[in-house]
Amino acid sequence: MQLNFLCKGHSTLRLFLPKVFIIMKLTVFLIIISCMQLSAKVYSQKITLSGKNIPLEKALHTIEQQSGYFILYKYNEVQKAKPVSVSIENKTVTEALILLFKDQPFTYQIENNTIIINEKKPAPEKIQALPPKNIKGKVQDEKGEALPGATVKVRGSQMVAATDASGQFELSNIPDDAILQVSFIGYKPREIATTGATNFTITLEMEESSLTEVVVSGLATTIKRSNAANAVSHLTSKELTGSAPPVTIDGALSGKVVGANIVANSGAPGGGISIKLRGISSIIGSSEPLYVIDGVFVNNSQFATGAGAGPFSGAGANQDQVTNRLSDINPSDIESIDVLKGPSAGAIYGTRANAGVVIITTKKGKVGQTRVNVSQDYGFSSVAKLLGSSDWSLDPIGPQGQNKFDYVFGNGTKGSGSATEIALWQKATAEGKITDYEKYIYGNIGNISNTSISIAGGTDKTKYFLSAGLNDETGIEKRTGFQRRSIKLNLDQTLTKFWTFSIGSNYLNTGNQRGFSGNDNRGVSVPYTLAYTPNYAQLLPVDGVYPDSRYTADSPVAISGRAVNTETTNRFIQSFSSNMTLLNKPNHTLKFTFSGGVDFVLTEAEVYMPEDLQSQKSKPNPGASRYSKNRSFNTNYQAFLIDNWKLFKKIDMTSQVGFVKLGTNNDFSWIQGEGLLPKQRNPNNATVRTASETFQQWTDIGFVGQQEFNWEDKIVGTAGIRFDKSNLNGINYNKYFAFPRGSLAINITKFDFWKYEPISQLKLRAAFGRTGGVPNYGATFNPLGTTIIDGKLGTVTPTTVGNAAIEPETAQEIEGGIDLGFFNNRLTFEGTYYVKNVYNLLNPYTISSGTGVTQFNAYPVGDLQNKGMELTLGGTPIKTPNFTWTSTLQYWYNRTKVTRLTIPNSIVGSGFSIYGRNQLRVGASPTAWYGTPNVADADGVLQSTQYEDAQPKFQASWQNNLTFFKNFELSFLLHRSYGNFNSNLTRKQKDVGGTTADWSVVDNLWGMPGVPNGKARNPSNPGVTAREFIQDASYWRLREVSLYYSVPKVYLINKLHNSVQSLRLGVSATNLFTITNYFGYNPEVSNFGNQSVGASVDNTPYPSSKRIFFHLAVGF
Amino acid sequence: MKYYKLKTSILLAGALLIVESCSVFQTKQIIDPNSPGVETVLSNATASQLDQLGIGVQSTMRNGFANLRLVAGSIGREVYNLSSTETTWVTELLGTTNGGFNNNTGFNGSYSDFAQTRRRADLFQRSANNTSTVSETQKNSIRGFCNTIQAWAMLKNLNMQYQNGIRITFSDLAAPGDLLKPGPFVSYDASLVEIKRLLDLGATQLDAGGTAFAFTMTSGWAGFTTPATFKKFNRAVAAEVAIYQKDWTGALTALSGSYLAVAGSISTGPVFTYSTTSGDMTNPTFKVKNDIASPVVAQNLFITEAEASDTRVFGANAKVALRTTERSFAGLLGKYDVYMYANNTASISIMRNEELILMYAEASIQNNDFANGVIALDVIRTSAGLPKLAVAKPTILVDKAKLIDEMLNQRRYSLFYEGHRWFDMRRYNRLDQLPNDLPTAKVYTQMIRPFAEVQWDLKNPQ
Repeated sequence: MQLNFLCKGHSTLRLFLPKVFIIMKLTVFLIIISCMQLSAKVYSQKITLSGKNIPLEKALHTIEQQSGYFILYKYNEVQKAKPVSVSIENKTVTEALILLFKDQPFTYQIENNTIIINEKKPAPEKIQALPPKNIKGKVQDEKGEALPGATVKVRGSQMVAATDASGQFELSNIPDDAILQVSFIGYKPREIATTGATNFTITLEMEESSLTEVVVSGLATTIKRSNAANAVSHLTSKELTGSAPPVTIDGALSGKVVGANIVANSGAPGGGISIKLRGISSIIGSSEPLYVIDGVFVNNSQFATGAGAGPFSGAGANQDQVTNRLSDINPSDIESIDVLKGPSAGAIYGTRANAGVVIITTKKGKVGQTRVNVSQDYGFSSVAKLLGSSDWSLDPIGPQGQNKFDYVFGNGTKGSGSATEIALWQKATAEGKITDYEKYIYGNIGNISNTSISIAGGTDKTKYFLSAGLNDETGIEKRTGFQRRSIKLNLDQTLTKFWTFSIGSNYLNTGNQRGFSGNDNRGVSVPYTLAYTPNYAQLLPVDGVYPDSRYTADSPVAISGRAVNTETTNRFIQSFSSNMTLLNKPNHTLKFTFSGGVDFVLTEAEVYMPEDLQSQKSKPNPGASRYSKNRSFNTNYQAFLIDNWKLFKKIDMTSQVGFVKLGTNNDFSWIQGEGLLPKQRNPNNATVRTASETFQQWTDIGFVGQQEFNWEDKIVGTAGIRFDKSNLNGINYNKYFAFPRGSLAINITKFDFWKYEPISQLKLRAAFGRTGGVPNYGATFNPLGTTIIDGKLGTVTPTTVGNAAIEPETAQEIEGGIDLGFFNNRLTFEGTYYVKNVYNLLNPYTISSGTGVTQFNAYPVGDLQNKGMELTLGGTPIKTPNFTWTSTLQYWYNRTKVTRLTIPNSIVGSGFSIYGRNQLRVGASPTAWYGTPNVADADGVLQSTQYEDAQPKFQASWQNNLTFFKNFELSFLLHRSYGNFNSNLTRKQKDVGGTTADWSVVDNLWGMPGVPNGKARNPSNPGVTAREFIQDASYWRLREVSLYYSVPKVYLINKLHNSVQSLRLGVSATNLFTITNYFGYNPEVSNFGNQSVGASVDNTPYPSSKRIFFHLAVGF
Repeated sequence: MKYYKLKTSILLAGALLIVESCSVFQTKQIIDPNSPGVETVLSNATASQLDQLGIGVQSTMRNGFANLRLVAGSIGREVYNLSSTETTWVTELLGTTNGGFNNNTGFNGSYSDFAQTRRRADLFQRSANNTSTVSETQKNSIRGFCNTIQAWAMLKNLNMQYQNGIRITFSDLAAPGDLLKPGPFVSYDASLVEIKRLLDLGATQLDAGGTAFAFTMTSGWAGFTTPATFKKFNRAVAAEVAIYQKDWTGALTALSGSYLAVAGSISTGPVFTYSTTSGDMTNPTFKVKNDIASPVVAQNLFITEAEASDTRVFGANAKVALRTTERSFAGLLGKYDVYMYANNTASISIMRNEELILMYAEASIQNNDFANGVIALDVIRTSAGLPKLAVAKPTILVDKAKLIDEMLNQRRYSLFYEGHRWFDMRRYNRLDQLPNDLPTAKVYTQMIRPFAEVQWDLKNPQ
């Protein structure tokens, strides 16, 4: 989130200025990509150059000027060149270069219009042995800041040192001709010859590509990204939250993870996001990935609040419009996120990993001076788009001269419009009491404030990171909002030389007030009722009293102003890990790691409707409240032995065996009252009280074995297997299921035969893996239901039946890809193709409803296949001292189809009948929409017509980061989703209510010449089919844009007397604009929350908002 | 060396801990912590388990009833559900949708409900057959009860599905006794034959069922709580089947075994009871007056075509109530709320003497026994505050066609919004006489066969 300057005391003004100069020179490092943009000019100039002892660099400049070629070299390398004495007259460039480089320790290469100069690889080590020596030095970054914790290793030996807090290191007794290998995460590694010197200042350059990042390769091991065989998305905190800080972490992923389909369920504060990695992997499950934070398997459920229950919106159990629990996590605590998108990468996570794994690592303390960072963001949110409303009039608009009232308040014949309504409209118009209710409710400005403070530091024994955060957001609808208070402590302790341990504690307290939106059966959802509220309605409160609505069961203004839907969560996430080195020999280490943690979540929800609300007054027992307590307790731990050894002295082998155990213990309860005493919320005093209690408990156990090998980074491979059992598997509770994996990566550029310098990386990779998906809790049971009549308890057989013999569904994936790096990885390309098959897909088996049973709750119904491609092109097209531009272009798509089906064509997921549903059909995508008209198939059976898919045809994103004059940073992220279709009921609601903006326009839609659009699109028009409601929701969206200014160090030292180490100011915006033809608040929508199918239903959601933030970050 | 000792001891301790507590590697089968399993009652059920199963059948018999009345009432143009949150009640259901019902229509909800009642009755019977805690006589009474309820539920579904027919047999799919593999659909007529057979079988079993049921009969069945008196309900359902079969003599025979009392109270009969007790249902048909969210309003001709002073339409006991504000929605205008129940705990009649009298009138008229037909119709008219036919319509007393019109009209008003009008007009081929307030709408003859049923047959050809 912010830059931190280390190394206090080393920077004085005198030191600083020359450094800037040097850095500028250093970056004379030219770029190929920008050169490519030049037209292919023919360079035929001859070179003339003569002189004695000319510095090589000067000679090169001369050639550059005369030839028009660009010459690419490293300044500090060329400084080592011998001066040249030449006499060149009218020679070609090639001839001139031959003369010039005759005795130089350099090679050169001519590429189009560019000459690339490289240092010759050091000659084999000399045999002559000089006496050993002691050396010391300092490792620093390009700005001259010390890099504590960098590794300095003597090549070919076990001698190694780490830099201390001020970047200093010492090594004793090393050979005089030793080569130092200096590395630090995020920086390009360097090799330095020590011959003849004992004191070094080693400058590391920032890594421009992500290839040296470390990504997860197993439950207890990691691998360098350049060696990984899977396309693992790795997002750093800068990428996640550095540009436009999101309030919830799920929002930070949108458009950034290639291969993911991320959809915001609702625009209400507090998020609510559904993520599908490489298509859906389950029908019955949510297809949401597994989330692991610092080794703790965390809960990302959506807990029911009851807002959709009968006494409230009546929309149904999965339509509470709640957030998911990932929203609890404070985004500013996150260091990085790894996304294992499919089974080939996630196999080692076994039965929980069918939908992928998201591994979140939080920030840790670092060796060095204590750093205190304080940041304050303040922002505003406003509605991204309002749908508007149309005016009323008596003008004839229909073919027989009908007016709008005839259509909306009559039966469509001329003069049938309600006289009462016309009179009300005339009165309101005359009195000027026309109100834009949509704007009244959603036109507010929300305030967002994020405050965070972190303290980090450590010694080589103890490192700590402590943070506290305070987030407060008010929504664009009054009385809605989101709050978070968090405290986090990460502690790493080295106990002995062989034993280290870490603990992490995180307490989170979040709250959100979401109002009522989305689908509705009681006339209380605010946007739903707005669709039916004409602008001449009189609903504004008078002296605090809300008038009743004539049009809907309740007034949207009253619900927005009085009804309560709020949720509070208290959560502890505790992680621990212990690493013990049992054996530490030069070529053999054996480690024992033990890690795990606890996630305890308690979410309490309140839904309340006062007894004097219009919708409650019409009930037999007015006034309703429900108090829910959802408690989830998750524990997991794992123990691993990791053996690192060498095979044939060349192949690095990592063997691991381990044991994993997960446990979940849930308790969901609520009490509801209907018929409340006036002003009384406690259901205890209600006329009708209902309560519910649900217990859930299960355990998963796994055994893992994995072998990794690495032949000098040339060929890197993995083979592993995991055996899992889970007592969610009914009578198979004690049966182990095997999940194998294997992968191979070949780094062609690491082989000696590879000479072509511009291509710095060429990696071919392939991976295979299998994961599982366990049945939902309860899918194996056949519970007798209970019922009451006459005060007596009765039992009834269930309407769905369990399947105790169930086994997990399995997903198997093969992924292959190519990774390319050009010009020292200045430009990188990553291409991946995968085929993911899900076998024995668990789904309710819909059986003949005439049997009195609607379904088997879980049944292996068939197989499905996801195929897709992910392409990433990244690089730094421009890098000059004053301007740097880095850019990442991503493109991905996924296609899903059912390949086998043992059951009849079945409706799956949620949805509204005539407005589009999803079905399982062989050869078709399970997220494709089906609807009217019914068409006879080959057997003469009427089948619904198939429409487009809810899954996008492709997605693309473009992330850019531009740095000007060192201190200004501009970033933006543009995201494209193409060909995703929603089942959209929002316009239909407005058409029926007469409030669509184009209601009275006549476009002769649906074979209804002369009929206004609002009437022609209405489902009461017999010609209208599901085509009307299944709508293209493609969009372009500017997800993030930001501009930051870091106050120069010079200023901080001079004016602030060095009391502040860093000061950063900025402004950012999220979702600033969206280009779409879609009718609705947001093309990203899910009325039914996180579901694998049937999610993309748009039924009057809470409108999405755009946000603008101002940032201030101070480091001490 | 010191380190190695420490390491060794830690490792040993860890290993010991794991070996000692092998339970670490154990998982137990989960026993549902929230509910008892079905298997606990399917064999060796205790007396109290049987009692609870019997109560369960009586309780869940109520499911689907309100939905059927609202769907059949809408198609039969008795009522409209002007729900602003579900427009399909006035579009798809009234026949405006292109191509009729949607394949996946939500209006077949009562189909599964009644099928479930049937299954529950059958499993109750199986549990009774499979235990020794009750005597053979008591088992007979349970069998008679269950077969009657099954037939009643099948008749409800058959009325909605009409010529689509229903499935009348089942066998096992996954486990013995699970009834999950359905037989083929059979025609409307064949279905009626099966329902009649079940009712007759049930009557025989009730005759052999002793003097008392082995389970609790709830208060809604007051007067029908013994095998002998419950048989009267069985015969009333049999009479309805006979009417559908146009077996007028059979209907009269069945009625004679029922609780028909031409001169008795028209309200006699079993009812569904409701309460606000937690876990119980409230009357799903009850609505407060002047509701806006989803008022169920009467089709206006029900009022305008009524005879003056008909207490079923006018006055304190009317089934409809004038709204304070008209409800205008999607081209339909609601002036009158349906208001048949005073509150949400009011009972709903399952089948009352009034309907039996009307069936008696119908069968008599169809058998050309006009005198008894007129007597029965006069009972209905008088109870509704109307003059006898001899006074009001003297010309129709011996006119069979006009008497049938009158009988249907009395059924319209007496059985308003009880799921009869649509079927009555269909029985007499008069669907085209039903009013159509929306020019683009049409009156369906029957519901569409449920999607799941169609797809099942496609995959499992019989």
